Amino acid sequence: MSAKASSSADREIIITRIINAPANVVFDAWVNSKHADKWMGPTGYTTVTQSMDVRPGGMWRFTMSGPQGVFPSRVTYLEVVKPSRLVYLHGADQDNDPDAFHVTVTFEDLGDKTHITLHSVFPTAEARDKVVKEFHAIQGGYQTLERLEQHVRG
Amino acid sequence: MALDTLSNTFAALADPTRRAILARLAQGETSVTELAEPFDMSLPAISKHLKVLERAGLVERGRDAQRRPCRLVAAPLQEVAGFAEGYRQFWEQSFDRLDDYVQKLQSKGRKHVRKSKQQR
Repeated sequence: MSAKASSSADREIIITRIINAPANVVFDAWVNSKHADKWMGPTGYTTVTQSMDVRPGGMWRFTMSGPQGVFPSRVTYLEVVKPSRLVYLHGADQDNDPDAFHVTVTFEDLGDKTHITLHSVFPTAEARDKVVKEFHAIQGGYQTLERLEQHVRG
Repeated sequence: MALDTLSNTFAALADPTRRAILARLAQGETSVTELAEPFDMSLPAISKHLKVLERAGLVERGRDAQRRPCRLVAAPLQEVAGFAEGYRQFWEQSFDRLDDYVQKLQSKGRKHVRKSKQQR
């Protein structure tokens, strides 16, 4: 049990997905604002990019708007490896947001498909609470799931 | 209110000993003495961890005055899982849109290639 429960499940979320396009196309959709504005955000949201500079230290500033409100956001890139890997901090559109969370996206080329792994780690409990609030707002409330309960029951 | 519960739950889960205690309690209720046995830790130290878990509403103690057995209360964990699910849905829906979008891009790309071939 301890191996599973000690995996900081309380601060970390891993999401994987197969996308039906080669890695260079998917990566481009991620780092080109013309494309990113078309898909970033949940159903019912629109994303508008103010500026995007994809290189270590560069920023993507964008606003997500939808039924639950407007969310000015900023991504600060830490690592950019075309077309296989992006590491960035994702937070509110302000300097040195202490609540920004650390995201690693890997794009594994499977020929005509791409396997995306999105690994998010929240820096502190405070950051997590803020993100909790924001994403709860976006999702319009709590969904009940027994995943973590099962994890602890492991 | 809901966020406070969530903070308490996360804080309580932030310690490996407390997670191990919860895992043990998931198998059924037990006394503090039994609970402390597998840990390389004093009984007061275990009691302290239990207090944190009780305050977070993750553990409750039975009324039996002798044993006061400890029980897992799973409801706060569902709230934490609910948060993870909200974030997950954010990305699942974004990925749905990404998948549609890149497929459109590719079919457009193919048309362009056909057109330029026809022009030649």
